[in-house]
Amino acid sequence: MNMNQQQKSDNDPCVEFIDVGVTKLSPADTETIILDRISFTARQGEITGIIGASGSGKSTLIRLCNRMDDPSEGTIELNGQNIATINPLLLRRKIAMVLQKPFMFEGTLLENLQRPFMFRNMAPPSAESLEIARVLDLVQLSREMLKRNARSLSGGEQQKVNLARALINHPQVLLLDEPTSALDRPSTTRLASTLINICQSEHLAIMVVTHDLYLTEHIVNHLIYLEEGRIVEQGVGPQMLAMPQTTAFSNFLAKPEREQKSSS
Amino acid sequence: MKNSHIIPLDLIQLVYAYALILLSLALARWQKIGHEKQLLWSSMRMLVQLIAVGYLLNLIFAINSPLPVVLMLLAMAGFSLQVAGSRIKKRMPNFYRVVGSSIFIGCGGVTVYFSFLVVGFSPWFDPRYLIPLAGMIFGNAMNGASLAAERLSAEMHERREEIECALSLGATSRQSAAEAIRNAYSAALRPTINTMAATGIVALPGMMTGQILSGTEPIIAVRYQIAILCAITGAVAVTSFLIVQQGYRRFFTDAHQLKSE
Repeated sequence: MNMNQQQKSDNDPCVEFIDVGVTKLSPADTETIILDRISFTARQGEITGIIGASGSGKSTLIRLCNRMDDPSEGTIELNGQNIATINPLLLRRKIAMVLQKPFMFEGTLLENLQRPFMFRNMAPPSAESLEIARVLDLVQLSREMLKRNARSLSGGEQQKVNLARALINHPQVLLLDEPTSALDRPSTTRLASTLINICQSEHLAIMVVTHDLYLTEHIVNHLIYLEEGRIVEQGVGPQMLAMPQTTAFSNFLAKPEREQKSSS
Repeated sequence: MKNSHIIPLDLIQLVYAYALILLSLALARWQKIGHEKQLLWSSMRMLVQLIAVGYLLNLIFAINSPLPVVLMLLAMAGFSLQVAGSRIKKRMPNFYRVVGSSIFIGCGGVTVYFSFLVVGFSPWFDPRYLIPLAGMIFGNAMNGASLAAERLSAEMHERREEIECALSLGATSRQSAAEAIRNAYSAALRPTINTMAATGIVALPGMMTGQILSGTEPIIAVRYQIAILCAITGAVAVTSFLIVQQGYRRFFTDAHQLKSE
């Protein structure tokens, strides 16, 4: 399952953060720095992990990628093009996002998978279509489940629907915000395997915000450690985990995983 | 109209009427419900406000010029807006601009349509018609406006996850907020729809009762009542429609991003 040893030399840059900053005004009119001079590159065919304690700015960072929010300074590029110049509706089809809490629209699993087409005013694909079969295969959901009420599915199944729905637009980048926060260990293991499979078969750039060191250890190629809105350390995932270069990251790793999860 | 049939109420008759408030006050005190002060204060406000408006209307009727009538209508629109705003705890962004323009266009438009096309009185500013008709239209639309604005804010708050999920899948702001818009509009219209269905069975409307008391034949009073209920429904529908359609946009940026709360 471990894909950390995968060849990475020919992977094209996909999402590039260049000196990105986010400041917010508090009600008392004081400026708070949420993200400070963030620069990194997430490449196609790689999984980039963003880890850090609660409040470190991880979720803010990932929301900037598909313009759910905009940065206060710096630029973010998708294949060399500044995303601020791309129509946000088009951008969100290229950069799909899986939110932390899976939200199921009212209706069946099939209707949930058809939603993105309805948003584009396109005829939705039928249950027998290749489109539906492709995403069901990617997340390992059976065709028999298509008629089930999406809200009656288990947490793990809903997370898979969430992932399948995000993949139906054929994105180039997949963003995941704390995908394992509601999953137990066996489900996390299955999700890790699914993400590696998706990354390889679809040649996507995947960015995962997580507290979960188990997930990080098993799937991440490029790792970024954030603290108080700054990148404290970044590099090749397994190397960073094995030999942390900074005391801050070392201390973070030393905390019991339970504690890191509960602080989210 | 046979206004000569009405029995004028003199001061002593009003005192007898006010005795019923004192009776209510005594009952409230006996039952210790703790609302005596509120009851007394509300009855005093009612007394002072109505006497003041009575003199004001007398003055406007006597002047018989369009300017005071238009000023009176603008003041009524302003009070509608202020009351609608004071009823709502959590206001939507740009509340006064959204609700104010909606009341102005919705109620103003329906009042003009109703005055000229349905009743067709002359001169166009005749205060005997224009002020009470506009008063009923503004008063009822104000309730619809409060409901539409309040429900829209609540729906946008409660459906935040759903809206963000839809946006992340490539939905426009309008598509992502469609359910919130629909529910807010439905909530604003429901009381008016219920009132129409109950009118004539559960209660006789105030305007019709007033006309009958002042000597109008019941069948004419009924026709007026039907027409004014149609106007109220139209005003509530247009005003609430404008509020939800303008209002939902205030929760988003131009880049289809949901603003933080």
